[in-house]
Order: sequence, then C-alpha cells, then structure tokens
Amino acid sequence: MAMNAVVIYVEQEQGALRRIGLEMATKGADIAKSLGVPSIAVVLGPGASAAAEQLKSTPVDVIAVGEDVPVDKFLLDPAVDALDALLKEKGPSYALFPASNAGKDLAARIAVRLGAGVITETTDLTVTDGALVAQSPKFGGSALATITFKDSIYGIVLCRPNSFASRKEPGKGEIVALSAPAAKQYAAVIEERVAQEAGAVGVDEATVVVSGGRGLGGPEHFDIIEALAAALGGAVGASRAAVDAGWISHSHQVGQTGKSVAPQLYIACGISGAIQHKVGMRSSGTIVAINKDPNAPIFEFCDLGVVGDIFQIVPALTQLVKERKGNA
Amino acid sequence: MKIVVTVKQVPDTNAEKTFDPANNRLNRSSIENVLNPFDEYAIEEGLRIKEKLGGDTTVTVLTMAPESGREVVRKALAMGADSAALLSDPAVGGSDAIATAFALAQSLKKIGFDLVLTGTQSTDAICSIVPAAIAEYLGVPSLTFAKKVTVTDGKVEVHRETESGYLRVTAPLPALVSVTKSANEPRYPSLKGIMGAKKKEIAPLSLSDVGEDAAHLGDAGSRTKVVSIAPVGARPKGTVVIATDAAEGARAVIDFLVAKKVI
Repeated sequence: MAMNAVVIYVEQEQGALRRIGLEMATKGADIAKSLGVPSIAVVLGPGASAAAEQLKSTPVDVIAVGEDVPVDKFLLDPAVDALDALLKEKGPSYALFPASNAGKDLAARIAVRLGAGVITETTDLTVTDGALVAQSPKFGGSALATITFKDSIYGIVLCRPNSFASRKEPGKGEIVALSAPAAKQYAAVIEERVAQEAGAVGVDEATVVVSGGRGLGGPEHFDIIEALAAALGGAVGASRAAVDAGWISHSHQVGQTGKSVAPQLYIACGISGAIQHKVGMRSSGTIVAINKDPNAPIFEFCDLGVVGDIFQIVPALTQLVKERKGNA
Repeated sequence: MKIVVTVKQVPDTNAEKTFDPANNRLNRSSIENVLNPFDEYAIEEGLRIKEKLGGDTTVTVLTMAPESGREVVRKALAMGADSAALLSDPAVGGSDAIATAFALAQSLKKIGFDLVLTGTQSTDAICSIVPAAIAEYLGVPSLTFAKKVTVTDGKVEVHRETESGYLRVTAPLPALVSVTKSANEPRYPSLKGIMGAKKKEIAPLSLSDVGEDAAHLGDAGSRTKVVSIAPVGARPKGTVVIATDAAEGARAVIDFLVAKKVI
C-alpha cells in the first residue's frame, strides 16, 4: 500500500515542547522524504501556535496547528476526533505518536477507528522497499523484534524518547490551521490540572538518569542523588525498594513496575540491580554503578562499577562534575 | 454494580525466553506463567470499590488465554473476586494488542459491566495500548493511568497521572479505568480465599459465544507482522574498581565519563 503522508503528533503544553517532539519531527521528516511523501507535524490545544514556531527548526514540511481544539477541557477525546479527521482526509498514511501516557491512548483509539496496526515502544525506524520497518524491544529488553505493517491502510508507531536524534534543519515548515471539530460535550471532563513537579524532566525522557536505591537508607539522603542529577542536567530515578519504602514517588521508579529508560548515561547509586530493575535500564548507553557490596548483581552488567560508600563518593563526584562543567 | 477486571497471564520475568522460529512467538510451554503484576492493582481497586459500595456490587475477572490461564485467574479469585470468565479459543493465538482489545471488548459486551478495570500494561508486551483500545471498541469513556479512583452515584472520578502531576477527571458510568501502581497495595490471598477460590466458577467463553469469527482475531486479525525476534545478548561486564576513599572513587567515575565523552 503506497502511503500519502507521514503524520507526526507532537505533544505540547502552553507552547512548551518536550524534546521527543523534536526527535519525532526529525525522524518523521526523514522517513517521509525516503517515501517521497509530505511530513505533517500536528500540535493541538492552547499554545499550539507557539509550539509550531519551535517546530520550524526541524525538517518537517507542514505544521498543522489546532489552537482551538479543547484538549485542556476534555480528556483526549477532542484530540482523537481531530487526528482521526486529519488522517481520514489524508488517506493512507503513517502516524507517529510519542510513547507517553497520552500518546499511547491516542494511538490505541485512533488505531481502532481506522483499523490500523500499532507498533509500540519503537526505538528505530527505517524505510525498506517503500515500507516502514521498526525495531522494538520486547520482554523487558531481553529480546529485540523487527516489525512491519501487514496490509493496513494506516500504520501507527509509538516512539520511545531518546531513540532518534533531533536535527536543526528548517524544512518548508508551512503552517496550516486545523479547524476544531464542532463544539461538542465529551463525557470525560478534565475538572482540575494539578502540577506536582512542574518543569522537571521525566525520568523516561532525560539523557542522564541518576538513581538511588535501598543503599540510601532513607528519604533524607535523596539530596545527594538530586545534587548529582542537577550537576549532570539529568533526572532522578529510583529502584522499587526506594519507592516502596515511600522515600520518593512512583513517577521516579525505573524497572519492571516503573518506567523503562534508555538515557545516554545511567548512574545507579546504592542499587543492587535485581532483574526487575535491570529490565528497566539495561538499554541505557553507559551504565555506572556505585555500591558498597562487591557482590551486587549490578556489577555484572554495568560499564563501570565502583565498590565504595555512596555517601562519600556521590558528593565528591558531584563536585568534580561541577568543576568540569565550570571549566568547559 | 458490576465491575469487570481484565487480567493477563505473562511469563515470569526471571525465566529465560526462547522463540519459535516458525512463527516468531514466545515458547510459552517451557516457562512458568504468572498473573501480570500490574493487573493486581486493578483487582485490588475493584475489591476496594466493592467493599466500599457494598450491596449487590460484584467483581468478575476476565482473561483471554489458553487453558493454562485458569491458574492465573485462580489467584484473582483467591484475592476475593466473585467469579471469572476465560476466553479460550485456538483462533485468538497470535493476536496483536488491537486484536486482543477487540476480543476482550466483545467478551465484555457479552458478560456485561458498569465499570471495567485494567492494569496499565503487561510485563511482557509493555505496550499499554490495550485499555484505551478496549474503551474505544466499547464506546465508553477511557480513563487511563488512574492513581486514584472514586465511584459515586453512577459517576467515576480519577486522578490521571501525567508527566508533571495529575489531572482530576470525571465521567459517567459505564466507563473503563486503568489503574496504576500508585493506586493501592494489592492484598495477598488469604488461606480462606485460596480454599474458597476452588469453588468459584470460571465460565468458559469461546469466539462463537461472543459472536465473533476468527477473521478479526489471531494472526489473521493482526495488522502488524513480527519479521524476526532475537534475544538480546547480555551486556558485557565492564570494569569494577574498589575505591578506598571518596576521592579515588569519584575520580574513577569522572575519568571514565570523560573518556566515554558522556560529559
């Protein structure tokens, strides 16, 4: 089935994009070019116009802006309708979504409406013989699958953060207005928006993650993890032991019942490295572990292991990182 | 009120995985299957809603699995679910996430529901798209990633986790809610629960029962194709140094990071 377009859904809030939006816009534009079809980035809701300006730095051909689509009033339903309408108008196409909570929901619901296939947790996309080929880790990263679409008219791809490189290379960047669907009362109403960690980069999207585990001994010691993460410009992660003990919220948890992350650098402090943690971080670029127990399993799969006291080493490392960044 | 919780059997995380080269499917026979850990939060939430509402509120567990799925369902019954339904049909083997959602939605229509509860993901596929797809097939509100669930007077309110906090969302029933790990601490089955579970009914369902044919399901109904799948080799073991003092340990890390050009 020849495709007509590559549609890229870019999440934005009040005009702010997350980095994965730029990564997907770049990758989507490259795929569209290989297929010889236009790339169309879509931004919805209040702030969409400001977000569109930022997308002009990427190689996308068209930026569809739905400033008036009421995604801030109803849970996802308006976005489902707007994207469904756009994809039906374009005809056969590939659609890329971020593998965020909202991205997964949108992809699933639009796939049902369009009878499309969905490829999830995609870490690489290429074009072979005019069709998309995706790489996706399965079974907690213990296996890698190569997946294609069969005969579907639409193909939907969920993209993992930190998988594609973003590139500053302005494309045509033609802005088109996406009209809001007729005013409609949807069932799922957003009554309140509560920001708890405003501005913090999510652990699944950060390029550097510094995680703390049981070895920290208590919530009051997470400050050494936070300081190192801040010095490296990264996010704070945690093992299940630290989350279950109530030292830090679940949104920081890395592992089987938390988030799967693949940052360029993962530093595990006081984490033993049980299989349940390993499956959430084994795909990281470089893994450094600091632990006082020389027999900790994490030393079997890290790139650099340091056997020693995290309360001494982590603050000293933070100081060295600051000095180096100051000199750079 | 009728609460239905969808659950899945998954291979034990600790088991070594092998794949059948003929169809790229997991060799499930060689490994122990367990109840998807994420589904326990949905079961627990269903039981808590039932305990709070009382009256004629029931919790039914639904799964799509081979006959071996009975063991997994049994654990949910031991936790306190009232009854179970097992959709088992050779034609559903090889279904992708969307086809699975379709089969579950058809089963839900057959058994009836006011509130559908699901986990947020499975530990084997980790795709998180089945819950929203079920809701879309059913045409009911899709309230996913809920860390708090409150049911009152035909309405459900959830706190939906977002990247920066949460959204407070309300919708009328019937609706679907996927429950996150933050929602509760699942109970362990009691001895009494385990004994009682043996007497509870697990209703068999087949595709014909739910009014469906194989064309929409299994491999034929799946719109994606796994071309190949291979185990990922273990990460090679790196260097491990023993730090005698903080300065030495910190220096070892910074030198490594600089050499690797990650800072």
